[in-house]
Amino acid sequence: MSVQTEVITAEQARKNTLNLPVETSLEMLRLLVENIKEYAITTLDSHGLVMTWTPAAERMKGYRPDEVIGRHFSIFYPKEDVSDGKCDRELEVAAREGRFEDEGWRVRKDGSRFWANTVITALRDAQGNSKGFGKVTRDLSERKQAEERNKQQSQDILEMATVPAVQVWEGILLVPLIGMLDSARTQQLMERLLQRLTETSSPVALLDITGVPTIDTQTAQHLIETIKAARYVGAEVILTGVRPAIAQTLVHLGVDLSHTTTRSSLTGGLRVALSLLNLQVAGTTRND
Amino acid sequence: MTNELISVIKVHDLLLATMPSDPDDATVAALQEETLTAMDQHEVRGLILDLSKVEILDSYFARTVAETAQMVGLMGGETVIAGMRPAVAITATELGVTLGRTRTALTVERALELAGQRNNATRRR
Repeated sequence: MSVQTEVITAEQARKNTLNLPVETSLEMLRLLVENIKEYAITTLDSHGLVMTWTPAAERMKGYRPDEVIGRHFSIFYPKEDVSDGKCDRELEVAAREGRFEDEGWRVRKDGSRFWANTVITALRDAQGNSKGFGKVTRDLSERKQAEERNKQQSQDILEMATVPAVQVWEGILLVPLIGMLDSARTQQLMERLLQRLTETSSPVALLDITGVPTIDTQTAQHLIETIKAARYVGAEVILTGVRPAIAQTLVHLGVDLSHTTTRSSLTGGLRVALSLLNLQVAGTTRND
Repeated sequence: MTNELISVIKVHDLLLATMPSDPDDATVAALQEETLTAMDQHEVRGLILDLSKVEILDSYFARTVAETAQMVGLMGGETVIAGMRPAVAITATELGVTLGRTRTALTVERALELAGQRNNATRRR
């Protein structure tokens, strides 16, 4: 029953719309194109020259209608895209396939860039004659920025997790390594350790390998180089967490660590670090 | 003939030599020349070589620094290299530079502290 009512209403509405004078519906369409804020809706002739311009397009790109109508739409694209022939290619695809969609950098009148989604649609009349193109552009800068921020954040977290470097005391940096050390990771280790040492102005670093399951010749070599590089910037690295199995491996591999201070425990390493800085840990005595 | 890009000055009983960011071979050669001359002229305990401005290290520069430290040692002084940047330190390890007993410090300030410690230790003896 209610379904029937709805159908009748919809039918009625359709009839009403059909009964509207053509001028009114055209006027409504024009108002839509002019009032819509999120999309810059413009039309181009078959050569790509701008034919119509809207307030939204002006807000997005900065051109007034008299500055832009009759000019080629390549003025909205970065130089490298224009010289690459991107604009011609877009019109070509739109003409052939009816539609072209793209996401990329666009340029405002003042030269600043924004990230946009663009859809170019070929406009044909009932007989199929080409009447030019419709171009709908949407400013996606905010979404792009959010994406970039997220990417940067996850990269920072990943880097932190690969080579964590925490300051345990003024002048003492602790780098606890967990998991296998491949050459990419040891390279990262060297760069990040040196960077953190100079940033925090720490003369001592504790490189703890308790969580490293095994060490091969190459990894050991990388570690020695890292320790050497740290010495060049003016810091001493103490290798801690040398478990019996690791000690055996290092000796069997013939790795020479005689110029490096090594300890089995982190506590032992911390003691060495404190003494290098002429610091002492004192117990408190209670007077009550 | 002094090179205007480098400075070698005497601070109390130490020499302080500063290198520019991208020294050419002539400047590098001048560093060794001027440091050794200054070692000869003044009664100093050693040299602080400030590399904090240096951005590019080539094999000639690296070798000259190591050699100069050795020569200063032969003349009875101790060298402390100060302020080497991470990127330069990485290049140095790649070049296989060996600094032997030459000491290093994060900053010139810390290098002076290191030299001071040694000084006090000698006085106490």
